[in-house]
Parts: sequence; structure tokens; C-alpha cells
Amino acid sequence: MKTLRYSLAALTLIGTVHTAVAADTLDIVVPFAAGGATDIVARSFEPVFSQQMGVTSVVRNVAGASATVGTAEVADNEGNPNIIGYEPAGALTIQPSLKNLPYGPDSFTYICRTVSNPMFLMVSKSSDIESFQQLADASQEYPFLYGSSGPGTLPHLAMAALVANSDLKAEHVPYSGSGPAMNALAGDEIQVMADTETILENYDLRPLAVFADQRVEGYEDVPAIQELGLPSMEFAVWQGVVAPQGISEERASQYAEACKETLESDHFLEFAERAKADIAYLGPDDFKAFVQQRFEANQQVLRDTGLMQ
Amino acid sequence: MDVILAAVGDAVAWKVLVAIVVGTWAGIIIGGLPGLGSVVGLTIFLPFTFGMDTIMSMALLIGVYCGSVYGGSITAILINTPGTPQSAATTFDGYPMTQQGRVDEALGWATFASFFGGVLSCVLLIFCAPQLARFAVNFGSIEVFALVCLAMLCIVGVSQGSVLKGLLCGMMGFVFSMVGSDSITGADRFTFGSYALSSGFDLIPVVVGTFALSEVFMRLADRDDKAANIPEASLRFPHPREILRRLIELIRGSFIGSFIGALPGTGAATSAFISYAVAQKLSPRRSRLGKGEPDGIIASESSNNAVTGSSFIPTLALGIPGDVVTAMMMGAMVIHGITPGVRLMVDQAQTVYALFVVLIIVNVAMLVLSKPSIGLFRYLFKLPRGYVMAGIVMFCFIGAVSVRGNPLDAVVAALTGMLAYALRCGGYPLAPLVIGMVLGPQLESSLRRGLLIERGDFLGFFTHSGIATTLFVLIGLFLIWTLWSSLARRRAGPTCRSDLSHSINR
Repeated sequence: MKTLRYSLAALTLIGTVHTAVAADTLDIVVPFAAGGATDIVARSFEPVFSQQMGVTSVVRNVAGASATVGTAEVADNEGNPNIIGYEPAGALTIQPSLKNLPYGPDSFTYICRTVSNPMFLMVSKSSDIESFQQLADASQEYPFLYGSSGPGTLPHLAMAALVANSDLKAEHVPYSGSGPAMNALAGDEIQVMADTETILENYDLRPLAVFADQRVEGYEDVPAIQELGLPSMEFAVWQGVVAPQGISEERASQYAEACKETLESDHFLEFAERAKADIAYLGPDDFKAFVQQRFEANQQVLRDTGLMQ
Repeated sequence: MDVILAAVGDAVAWKVLVAIVVGTWAGIIIGGLPGLGSVVGLTIFLPFTFGMDTIMSMALLIGVYCGSVYGGSITAILINTPGTPQSAATTFDGYPMTQQGRVDEALGWATFASFFGGVLSCVLLIFCAPQLARFAVNFGSIEVFALVCLAMLCIVGVSQGSVLKGLLCGMMGFVFSMVGSDSITGADRFTFGSYALSSGFDLIPVVVGTFALSEVFMRLADRDDKAANIPEASLRFPHPREILRRLIELIRGSFIGSFIGALPGTGAATSAFISYAVAQKLSPRRSRLGKGEPDGIIASESSNNAVTGSSFIPTLALGIPGDVVTAMMMGAMVIHGITPGVRLMVDQAQTVYALFVVLIIVNVAMLVLSKPSIGLFRYLFKLPRGYVMAGIVMFCFIGAVSVRGNPLDAVVAALTGMLAYALRCGGYPLAPLVIGMVLGPQLESSLRRGLLIERGDFLGFFTHSGIATTLFVLIGLFLIWTLWSSLARRRAGPTCRSDLSHSINR
């Protein structure tokens, strides 16, 4: 028994060493598991960012509950100047309307928006549907099924808004991620999906429209939603950096400066090119206003489609 | 041909070989430590790959992946604690063999079956990837539902002694898997208004608590019992004659694993359970399964390692990651400028072929490194038992928390450990709990997605597609067979209650 007690004590000490060493490093919380789409961008962002800040930083993956667990942890660290979150759109602007969360859009100091990619409405290339009108007409007899990477995600919201505001008849089937949803699209289990350029380019898909106010560079022949005679619907997958409330103004502007420099660095530009991430910088004030605007717009969609009680 | 030669050249460069050896060995050790599994191993090594070239980083990650899937079986056999959930089915026969003093033989079979499964799935990956991918695409939600139903049948088989207790534990695992966000509507379930519970229970903390912590508690309870000592283990490969005798088992397990691996969203743990369920019906030695029969180890280990190769099929042929591990691999590819997708095989042929060569070398490396790795575990387990148990407890909690960095997981691991100890004392089998936890979410989401697709008509499942109908008919046959054979046994001779429940087990 004695050895057991000693060894347990020794192991506890080993465990605390990590905490002692970590006191001064900057924690970059990524609310998804390592290796995911958001994580890859965050990990390419991190080295340049910490160099600009002149600190040692660690990317920490805190996953779970549609990215809200990691986001809540950032919000919870009020006044801590050594933690920031690399956040996806959903955790900041959709989940707070759907769930009872310990944070809201006002719980953060906004640093910057990093990347943003517009979403496309797409069907499989093997289908004979070539335009949105054809899609809407074909759906009248027998409603289509649209996939998403989960309930309350941007692909879900974009399609729900489209179905609510157009003649298209379609029902939602959620999957556990874009990958399984693509598999279902390939097997004709679902017929329509809304997602970004990355997905569009990687699989055999045909874009029918883009969820933006204007046509997008590189896809000049894909009409914007407005041109189809529908109300404006803007959906983009974006990411940004937030810090907890209560940090000093000086620290906040230091973060914002470092973020701007990072997005302009060769290292990050080169990565963004390869990963097909469109750099879309917004400074602290613009980003804050943007999040607020998106939060309200998404809430409206959730109300219109009955997803939010 | 030039492309293939160039690819072989890429893959046998010395730094790639070093990466393979380091990755595979680290993978075996990480997989063997209870709590630390494939995902944790890859998370540890992922940042190192950013500075390497593509082939080298792939080699490191594939080594860690394949090694960890094999490594889980070592502790499953030695101390009844699967190092990873993928090896949970290995404990069914592996640990009884250890108790019978056949530990060397058990490790030998586990190692050989892992190697065999890994290589066979590489061969399938190389020659039939596009065909298998096309077939896998036809496996929609309804077909997956049928497949998971088939796997559920193995709960009955592994409930030694009492089917009722087994089903109860299976349901418990099922309920645990339901805590948190509903996969279809996103609403919170069973959270009792607590935000902490809304992230749900992850598989790893539950597996760690159920197997590893409860085992530590058991050993603490009978610490004065000399018989509970961890045996000195070494590795003895099975005799070629023995291998030939069980060749059909090896091939069946590997094919099941290769096929399940090609389906997105299933994974190695599911395939090991399915393979075990099939072995319970088809193995000529099925009456001895669960009591220390190498066929059980073969069924589990050949199929879980076959998943390692074939999980690249959807990734390479369609750009769709099959599981968390291949999703990470895809992430590493993107960082190195390779965009996975439908055109990967055409655009990046040399990289893809090099990947194939790396996969085969990794499996060979696994076979070679198995002996020193088992030696290391033998050395570790020779330490005073207090240290070993304390070490296991430490790794359990590190593993439980590091999967997603959520402090709830440490609490979940500790509580399931206590629950599992109580269940064990009451004679409840623990494996069904983990089976329920692994298969529950898949069963539920595929059923509900299927209902959405069939617009609420469950009868439509049976006629949805040829594959679905075939699978449902198979399940029906399995059930009839089980009932019929137990009835026949009953009629054959006088029987008491315990005999009856026993015959159902078969």
C-alpha cells in the first residue's frame, strides 16, 4: 500500500508540473477536435500570430456540443489576458439562439475576423438539374431531401432559409459532418446540399447558386440568390478570433495588430491559397458589428423556419 | 510504371523509414496504454508533421494509427483492459487465455491476426479501391442501420451466464450514449438542465472507466491474492499448421474489417464487434468462444486492423474521411498542399502509390516491433503492482481528458469506473455496456435518418434496396438459427434454467 501511495503522490506532482509551466503561455482554444477544417486554419494561424505577439502559444482543442464547450471556456475566463478562442461562425451566431448557453454575443472582446467563404447551393454532377428553377420545379411532385453537417449548422440554416423563402420543397436530413453528407449525396440518399467552395471543388458537384449578394470571383456563371428573384440571403462560413471580456484595451489592440499582420504574412497567404480559404479581415469594431448583425439575421431565420421556439 | 517506381523510391527513403519505425512503435505503446488511443496518439504527433514533407508526415501518422490499433490488444490480453475501444472485443477470449496460462499464444495470435488483417486490407485498397468505394456509396443510412442491428446480436453472445444481465448493461450503454445533443434535432437530452452535460459522454472516458478503472479496483480488492499477478508475457507466433487451420477465420475477419472500414462513419470498434458476432455463428469452434478460443482474438484483431487500410478507401477515392482518424490524415494532407477529393488518384498518383507502400511497410514494421513492445510492457508490468496500477490510473485520466479537453470527461471516467466495479461484483458482463455505447449512436441516427428518408415508413426499410433486404434477411436467419438450435438442444435432453440461458449464448 505504501508504494501505491508514494507513486500516486509522485504522479500527482508530475501532473501539476504542466500547469506551473503553462502559466505564461497564450492559450489558443479551438472548439473542434484536432485535424478538423477549423483546426487546420487555426494551426496555420498560430505560429505567425504568436511570433507577432512575442509569446509562446499553444493550440488547445476543446471539442463538444457544436463547438460551444470551447467557446464557453473562453467566455468564462473573464479578464484573463492569456486566452483567446479561434471561433467558427456557428458557435458565435447560431448556437446562442438555440441553446441555453453560459455566453452570448456580448460575452467577448472581438479581435478580428480571419477568413470567410460564401456558401453555394449544389447538386451532384450526375443529376440532370442545371438551374435553381429546374430544382424547384422538380421538387413539386416529390419533395427533395437536403443534407447538412448537423442540426443548427450553417449548411442547415442556409437551406432552411431557402426552402422558407422560395418554391423549393425539401426536407432536412442531418449528418455527423460534411464527409458523411457528401457520401449520402454521392449515393443519392439526399439530393441537395449547401456548403463552401472547398466541398464544391473536392467532389463531383454542380453549383446552382451562391448565397451572397453578388456573384463570386471564379464562379462568374453561378447566379447570386437575389438574381433568382428571391429575397437576399447571405450565408458564409467564416472564422474569427475572440478574447474574453475584461482584458485591457492595450492587450486587445495588441491582439488586433498581431492578427492583421498574420493575415498579411506570406506564410498564411500561402496556406490560405492551398486550403481555399478566402482571407477576409475585419478589425475589432467591424467584426463586433458583423457578429451582432449575423446573430440577429440567423435568429430571424431560426424563427421563420420554426427551429427556435 | 514509372510512377509506381518513383513512389516506391519516395516511400523507402531513410527518413520515411525512420518516421515509420518511430510512428509505429510509439503507436503500439500509446495504443497499449489504457486510455490513450489512436486519436490521442495522432493529436500528439500531428504538430510534428507540420515541418516534414508529405510522405514523411503520412508515414508517421499511419504508423501511429496502425500501431495504436494493434497495441490496444496487448493490454486487452494481459490485464483484461483494452488499450483502445477498438480492442474491446479482444478481451472476450484474450483474457481467458491469459488466465489459462496461454498468454504467449494469445499475443501471438493477436499479432499475427493484426498483421494479416492490415496487409489484406492494403491489398484490397490497392487493387479494388474504386470498386469498393462505389459499393460503399450505396450503403446509405438504412443499410448501415441493418448492419448495426447485425452487430447488436453479439451482445447476446458475450453475455456470459445471463442474457438478461447482458441486455441490461447493453441498454445502460445505450442510455449513456444518448446524453447530450440529439443528433437529428440538436436539442439537449438527459442533461437535467445542466450545461456541463450538454456535450454528452465521450466513448473514451466510458471505456476507460468500464474496463481499466474497474480492473484496477478489482485488483485493489484482491491485492493479497497471489493468483491475480500479471503473468510474464512473451510472444509466440502460431505454428504455420495452426494458421492454415484457422485461415478461413483470418480471411473472414479481414474481409469484414476491410468492408466496414470502407463505409464512412463506422470505424474499427464496430467492425470488431460485427466480426465477433459473425464468428459466433460461423466459426467451427464457436462453442468455445468466450472461454479462451483463438478464433475470438482472430475475429476481433484481424478485422480492426483491416479497417486501418480500408478506411483510406473513401478518403482516397471520394475525398470523404471515413472516421476521425482519416479526417486528421486529410487535415495533414491539406496542410501539405494535397487536396483530397475525387481527383486525388489522378492528380497525385505518385503520392497515393507511396501511401500504399508506406501502409504495407507499416504493417511489416508492426510485426517486427511487436516483440520489443511486448517486452517493454512485460518490463513495465514487472514493476511493483502499486506503481503499475497508479500508472494505469494516471494514463486513464490523461486519456479521458485529452480526447476533447473537456473536464467533464474525468468525472465521467471516475463514475463509470465505480459503476463498472459494482456491476462486476454483481456478476454483470461489462462488454455489452461498451457495445451499447459504441453502436447506440450509430443505431439511433441511422434509424432516424432512415425514417426521414422513407418519410416515416419503417416497413419501407425492408424493401429500400437489395443490400438492405439481404442484410435484414440475414439477421432474420441468424435469429431463427439461434432459436431453433436452442429449442433443438432443449428437446434433446433434460435441462435446467442455467443450461437454457447457456444455449442461447451460442
